[in-house]
Amino acid sequence: MHRISLKFSSMITGVALAAILAGAWLADVYREHDSRAVLLPDRVMTLFPAPKPLTAFALTDHKNRVFDLASLKGKWSFLFFGFSHCPDVCPTTLAVLARARANIARSTAGAKDVQFVFISVDPNRDTAGKLRQYVDYFDTTFLGVTGDNAQIANLAGQLGAEYQVAIAPGSADYPVYHTAAVFLSDPRARHHAVFTPPHDAEAISKRFKVVRELDAGNAT
Amino acid sequence: MRWRNPVFICLLSALTLVPAATEEAGVSVRGAWVRETPPGMTTMAGYMELRNNASRPRVLVAASSSGFETVMVHRTIVKDGMAGMVHTSQIELAPNASLIFAPGGYHLMLLNPKRTLRAGDRVVINLEFRGGLVLPVAFEVRK
Repeated sequence: MHRISLKFSSMITGVALAAILAGAWLADVYREHDSRAVLLPDRVMTLFPAPKPLTAFALTDHKNRVFDLASLKGKWSFLFFGFSHCPDVCPTTLAVLARARANIARSTAGAKDVQFVFISVDPNRDTAGKLRQYVDYFDTTFLGVTGDNAQIANLAGQLGAEYQVAIAPGSADYPVYHTAAVFLSDPRARHHAVFTPPHDAEAISKRFKVVRELDAGNAT
Repeated sequence: MRWRNPVFICLLSALTLVPAATEEAGVSVRGAWVRETPPGMTTMAGYMELRNNASRPRVLVAASSSGFETVMVHRTIVKDGMAGMVHTSQIELAPNASLIFAPGGYHLMLLNPKRTLRAGDRVVINLEFRGGLVLPVAFEVRK
C-alpha cells in the first residue's frame, strides 16, 4: 500500500515538474521571441497560414456610406458581429477593442491603416442613426455597419461567424445569438486571423503587432 | 491571462478600495457596478461579487429595482460557437462561497432605466433571496 502511494506521488511530482518546465519554456519563448509565440498553440489568436481572400459583399455604414470589399482593402480590419441591444458581450468587447486601438495608435506603426468595424446582425433595430450613436460612444473612429440579411449572412459566412436573430412577432425585445470572436482581415482583404474570447486589449494589440511585422516580412 | 483582463483588474481594485457595500444575514456584496451605455441605449448590465458568509446555503431568486422597468438574473453562455444569454431563475450560493458576476458570465440584465444613468451615478438594486431576505445594493455606474 505504502509502495503504491509512493509510486503514485513520484509520478504526480514528475508530471508537475514536466508541466512547470514546459510552462517556463513557453513563457521564455514568448518573452524573447515574440514572433515565435504565434506559431505555438495560442488561446488569444489563431493565425491562418494561408489567408483566404474575401469576396464581394455590400453593406452600409453608420453614415450611410457603402461598406464593401473595397472598404477592406489597404487596411487591417478588426471585425466584430453583434447588436446594440446586447447588454454584456458587445459593450465589453467594444470597450476592449477601443483600448486595443489606443495601444495600436500609440505604437510606432500607428493605427492609420487599421479600422475597427462593428457589424450589427440586427438591422431591424440597428438603423444607421442608432449605430452612429452606439459606435461613437466607444471610439469615434469605429465604423458601425449593417445591411440586409442576405449581405450580413454573406460576410458572416465567409468569416465563419455564426449568428441567430430570434425575432418574436409583436415584441421589441428578442434574443440575438452571435459569435463573440473578433475577425482580422488584412490590407489585401483576406481573412488573416481570428481572436477568441475572452478578449483582452493588451493581448490583442501585442498579437496584432506581431502579425503586422510578420506580414511586412513576408511582403519583402 | 484571465486576471490581466482590465475589466477584472477594475473589479479587483474596486474590491480592495470600497469596503463591503452591504452586509446582512451573512450575505455581502462588493464591487457592485453597472456599465454606462452609449446614448439612447436602454439595455444595461450590472456586475458584483456576491458572498455568502453563513454556514448554510443561500438562494438568489430574483432582483428588482425602481430604477429600471425590468431586472433579470442572466448568464452569458456560449453554445454552438455563439454567445447568448440565458435567464437564470435561481442561483444557490454555497456556504462561505463567493459568486462573481462579471462581463461574459453572470450579470443582472437591466432594461429601460427610468432616468439616464451616467458614470458616477448610483442606482439601488434589490437582491431577493429565498426565505424573504431582500438586500438593497447600491450599484455605481461606470464607463
